[in-house]
Amino acid sequence: MKITFERSGGFTGLRLAAEIELAMLAESEFGRLSQLVGDSGFFDLPEQILSKERQPDRFSYRLTVAEDGRTHTVEVDEEAVPEKLAPLIGWLTEKVGPKDISR
Amino acid sequence: MPPGRKRRAVYDAGSARQLPGVLVREEGGRAVRDRAVNEAYNTSGRMYDFMSRTYGRNSIDGRGMRLDSSVHFGVRYDNAFWNGSQMVYGDGDGRIFNRFTGCIDVVGHELAHGITQHEAGLRYQGQPGALNESFSDVFGSLLKQWVKKESAARADWLIGAGLFTRRIKAAGLRSMKAPGTAYDDPIIGRDPQPAHMKDYYEGDEDNGGVHINSGTPNHAFYLAAAAIGGYAWEKAGRVWYAALCDRLPPESSFSQAARVTAAVAGELFGRGGRVEQAVKNGWKQVGVTG
Ligand SMILES: [Zn+2]
Repeated sequence: MKITFERSGGFTGLRLAAEIELAMLAESEFGRLSQLVGDSGFFDLPEQILSKERQPDRFSYRLTVAEDGRTHTVEVDEEAVPEKLAPLIGWLTEKVGPKDISR
Repeated sequence: MPPGRKRRAVYDAGSARQLPGVLVREEGGRAVRDRAVNEAYNTSGRMYDFMSRTYGRNSIDGRGMRLDSSVHFGVRYDNAFWNGSQMVYGDGDGRIFNRFTGCIDVVGHELAHGITQHEAGLRYQGQPGALNESFSDVFGSLLKQWVKKESAARADWLIGAGLFTRRIKAAGLRSMKAPGTAYDDPIIGRDPQPAHMKDYYEGDEDNGGVHINSGTPNHAFYLAAAAIGGYAWEKAGRVWYAALCDRLPPESSFSQAARVTAAVAGELFGRGGRVEQAVKNGWKQVGVTG
């Protein structure tokens, strides 16, 4: 499984982007991340989860998960993040550090 | 509530994402031990005073709305925002960012988003979105200048000076005087803001680059204020404020903002006069034609 995680916007506008190959992770992280992806029902989420009224300075996320020949991308506004997707985004935000800041 | 009264409330979100959190300080209440609470309280009060004394504005909605802030939102949250009815601040991760209440212009920026929502209502996408961002930077910076009693020539025109931790090589987060030069650091890279339309960001991230392209109208404001001289909030700020309140529609483009601010400058300070000329030149130098 491979996860691509991108965050843009926010007051700082500082972009985060990382590609995580799950096979490269330590076993505990691998287990946790696989579980979070599963719990989020990722492949059943719509491609765009947008807030009706954008709140100034909130983040925007783009996540792609590739697994067993299928790929799914979800674009989601921070204020519209579904409850079951929030833990995955939280984990990725913590994991993806300064080294993954890009532009 | 009688008009013209300042009312504040600060809440502690307690690292959760539920708003507003627990009420910890109200108008007239004593300082508490928590620095973030006191900063949110004091600086939102300063912004109220600034807008009231310079532009006669009574709070965010112009009708005395209470200034609500929540601090300690989320865990190591690298952000501050306006959620449509209140200001919200994160503690920062401590590695790259300090807490967001620590910068006076950050607080001014967030409160100004509330004002924009109640006035021009600039749509948060593309050019109107970048203008929305720019108005917040303008009034955030003017708040800092007003508090420090700095002229346009003396001000640093930085947004978020002190927001980065010491390990980051940065003067601040954005520079209105020289967009694109606020930081250049091995960890976080370079400030991406364009000073000129020729470098306009066309991508779709960040609502069409609202925090990137705001550099261009920011610089137009700086150029106008610097050319006018004196305290930036007195003339350039007044022109931008009047444009925001009375003239700009929600879908405004940069060109429209250029036309409207030039027209307002003429109405307020004399047609064809020095202020109008400075505003026109400011936009022209950043490649925006009215
Ligand atoms: Zn903003």
